[in-house]
Amino acid sequence: MSYLFIILYAITLIYFALSERVKKFVWLLSIQGFILFGVVFFNLNKIEIFDFIFILVETILVKAIIVPWFLNRVRKHNHLSREHEPSIPVFYSIIVVVISLIISFILSNYLNNNHIHTKYFTVAFASILFGMYFIIIHKNIFSHVVGYLIIENGIFLMSLAVGSTMPMMVNLAILLDVLMGVLVLGIFINHIGDTFKSIEIDQLSKLKD
Amino acid sequence: MISLLLILVSALFFVGVITKVKAKIAARKMPSIFQPLFDIIRLFKKGAIYSPITTVIFKIAPLVYVASILMATLFIPIGSQKGILSFDGDFVFFVYLLAFGKFMMIIAAMDTGSGFEGMGANREALYSMLVEPAFFILAGSIALFTDNISFQDLFIYLHLGSNLSYIIGIAAIYVLIYIAMVENSRMPVDDPKTHLELTMVHEVMVLDNSGFDLALIHIATWLKFVIYGSLISNFIINLYWAWYWQILAFFTVQFVFAFTVGGLEAFRARNKMEKNPQWIIMLSAIAVVVFLTTLIITEKIILN
Repeated sequence: MSYLFIILYAITLIYFALSERVKKFVWLLSIQGFILFGVVFFNLNKIEIFDFIFILVETILVKAIIVPWFLNRVRKHNHLSREHEPSIPVFYSIIVVVISLIISFILSNYLNNNHIHTKYFTVAFASILFGMYFIIIHKNIFSHVVGYLIIENGIFLMSLAVGSTMPMMVNLAILLDVLMGVLVLGIFINHIGDTFKSIEIDQLSKLKD
Repeated sequence: MISLLLILVSALFFVGVITKVKAKIAARKMPSIFQPLFDIIRLFKKGAIYSPITTVIFKIAPLVYVASILMATLFIPIGSQKGILSFDGDFVFFVYLLAFGKFMMIIAAMDTGSGFEGMGANREALYSMLVEPAFFILAGSIALFTDNISFQDLFIYLHLGSNLSYIIGIAAIYVLIYIAMVENSRMPVDDPKTHLELTMVHEVMVLDNSGFDLALIHIATWLKFVIYGSLISNFIINLYWAWYWQILAFFTVQFVFAFTVGGLEAFRARNKMEKNPQWIIMLSAIAVVVFLTTLIITEKIILN
């Protein structure tokens, strides 16, 4: 079953590279939240029941519902509908995603360690690489938050890959990080949008002096 | 033999179902399911008109096109019904048969010397080139999964394997549906109902074909749809079912596939022409993901 979620997660990464509408980014983040829920539900049931329920609730509530809902509100507040042309054509972005997937699969082939669930490590590492790439190629702050959340999802999967002994602590930290990050950045974006009537980061370079 | 018959029978109704679904969704009066057949008969009664600057290539191209696709249907097995021809690595031959027919159509379009047709041929060649890796990576990963390299054994051993084959099957069906749409120049890539030559892909390529030749080209399109529908049905039909259940499942899959195509065409807008290549390369990207997953499942890459 976990293979299905690995395929689906990798496909969401490809769709992130393909799509150019901001609304679709939010949808894809929500879908990733549900996929992570599935991964946890089918694979993590050996841990204590309280931890298990906590992580389940965290993935479905925070990652799949609250964060996308909040991002959607920020999007509507700033009248964002379409991402401006990313600085690298989408065609090359898709090739970059595929290459990052292949690299992380080959890398995890070398990490043949009994303590690491390498099948999660593959998509986790690809997700972190792609999240950074996503931030580099986009020009507005909203997409940067989306890229940040892709990296966070990658780190969550990474914690499943390596830290099956103490997932509770890792997840508490991630939860705090994501919630605070998204809330603070959301308010930040709203303020920038209200002041400059646009959330292009090029506007911020005029702040000098 | 039975598989060829099944494919030919379902080809008669396939496009009829698509047009019926599209008309129903658009709240128009539905044409008869036999309407495409009547159109073909009308076209067959007409003679073909050839431009004086065309050569023999233009005249034989539609025949070669239909012949290559008919030849390709011989390789398709359906459930436990074997295809007429089968040998190791036949899926490569199958793809290049389809590509050969397409190549003939492309040089025939060039042969007319019209600027529009050259443009259409150009686009068709580009899209076919981009979609080819998707099919090969997909077929390759199924071959890797089953350790067999002919269509027949591929699908037989796919079902004898573990439940993991269904995971590959789902992704493969998704990719195959869109490959069929690209190969037939249908909705997300090309709009068959468009009236502006500049936005056409396949239609602008066959502008000069008339009468008999046009009928052959239409028949080739039907066959191509049904070929891909049969490939999809092979992922679903289980070999342990009785033969009548298998045939019923085959027709159900074809019907659902036609329904999906009609729905996609009714609800989706055509991509911008410049967005098409990136959309098509996305199919190959998904196929690569399927391939990597197959590597894990078959433990070619050691994972735990």
